[in-house]
Amino acid sequence: MSKYLEISKIYMKTQLVWRADVIFNMIFTITKILFAYLLWGMVFQNTERIGQFTFHGMLSYYIMHSFLSQLEMSEGISGEIHDRIRNGTFSKYMVIPVGIEKYFIAMELGIVLFYIVFDFIAAVIWFFVFQIPIPFAAEGFMIICGAVMTVLGMLFMVQLNYFLGLLTLKYQGIGTFLMIKNNLAALVMGSIIPLSLFPEVIVKMMQLLPFYYVTYLPAMLLIGMCKEEAITGLIVITCWCLIMQLIISMVWKKYIRKYDGVGI
Amino acid sequence: MKKNIKKNLCVLRELLYLRIHGLMVFRFDFFAPFFVDGSLFLIQLLAFRVVYSNVDTIGDWGRGEMILYIGTFSLLNAISMTIYFFGVNSIPYKVRSGELDLYLSKPVSPLFRLTFENISPGSVPLIMMSICIIVYGIHMGNIKITLAGVIGYLFWIMIMAVLYYEMEVMIRSVSLYVVSMARLEQMEEACLNLCMKLPGIAFYGIYKIIFYLILPYGIMATLPVQRMTGEMNWQTAVYGTGIVFLFSVITAVLWKQGLKHYNSASS
Repeated sequence: MSKYLEISKIYMKTQLVWRADVIFNMIFTITKILFAYLLWGMVFQNTERIGQFTFHGMLSYYIMHSFLSQLEMSEGISGEIHDRIRNGTFSKYMVIPVGIEKYFIAMELGIVLFYIVFDFIAAVIWFFVFQIPIPFAAEGFMIICGAVMTVLGMLFMVQLNYFLGLLTLKYQGIGTFLMIKNNLAALVMGSIIPLSLFPEVIVKMMQLLPFYYVTYLPAMLLIGMCKEEAITGLIVITCWCLIMQLIISMVWKKYIRKYDGVGI
Repeated sequence: MKKNIKKNLCVLRELLYLRIHGLMVFRFDFFAPFFVDGSLFLIQLLAFRVVYSNVDTIGDWGRGEMILYIGTFSLLNAISMTIYFFGVNSIPYKVRSGELDLYLSKPVSPLFRLTFENISPGSVPLIMMSICIIVYGIHMGNIKITLAGVIGYLFWIMIMAVLYYEMEVMIRSVSLYVVSMARLEQMEEACLNLCMKLPGIAFYGIYKIIFYLILPYGIMATLPVQRMTGEMNWQTAVYGTGIVFLFSVITAVLWKQGLKHYNSASS
């Protein structure tokens, strides 16, 4: 366990090298919120409520969602694995005495723990800039459920990106597929518009998928909405984490023999 | 002048030949821009379909105008991807690595070669898809089509494609002056992401100054749509052409002065 903590600490320290990145990441979160502010500002000129949202409720959702999605930084894992398998340097991870998947989880943890403070500051600043009352859920139960679901959601995304990276063992190039996945993820994780505005049938279908629980439902819980979905949400995302782990084991066993390393 | 155009056309033909030859080696990558950007704009359409299932209009625009807007932005992006994006996008890398030397030492304009050396025929279906979205938008919005409207729309698409190109070149020309320009590219991506979702009619006050004047991404698809729907007045037309002219001058100056700042890496 201590070696994984060391990995997390190293990656946390590494982020200090990229101080400008941290600041600009904070600043550019405004574009998502500005999009919501201007678009929904026009929409709410003619109506007071859309679905379960008021104008302030909608902006709160986008700020909270933006905070959580900034923390979800596992996208680089699939790219890293893809590049290293293609050029043969994936051996770097195979020769060190750690589990490779656990290495990436520890890495992600270190990065997230570093960024969480800055992203939280950014979220609070945007609440003040756009003059929205900070809408934290009044019940501790919803906050705890939201926080646990966020952790599980991020774990799932690390697993998913690890799995996609491993697919390079089978398919030579998955770069295009990863970019398409990112476009789709923006929609199904509620980054563009809140998922509850979709037709009911589609929402029900999305509730069966894990992406609903990565940033959308945690954001809703943290602003005090969708309380009734909290427990089922935790169960569904836990099941998806277990399923994904099984898939990863199968893919690893089946395809790792195809890997040609260099530089050992 | 005539001789110069003829020479450039010959260079363009050779660049296109070399590019297609190179692309055939990686056949799946050939259509990658189509799959990636195609999915992006289809998702955009889907998202606005959901928004419009909850409201009738956004500002003065109904569903048809918004689809037309998304199609128009998609078309501008497709033109960029097909003709110049991959070439212009490589400028910062070529400056850092010193590879720009090879362009400066050839008897053809470096910017001309950089612009056209990475033409992407695989993005052509993206243009077709954009045209389909535009036709669908016109149909949904019951927009009256006139010959003058279509010609006007094509004229605005053409000059906004020039503006789109100038913005890309201008931002990447900064790499001739500074060591790292990753932030500027990040800013460009953020602004494009915002403006492809949000029509210019949504901007007001300080946001209008930013996206209509300083970083004019807000007018790129808005003006052609306004021309097509008949919302454009002469002041907007003059403003739009003025902005394109202004950014042409800024881009030319920035590029030419930047070349004087360029420190070769190989000699």
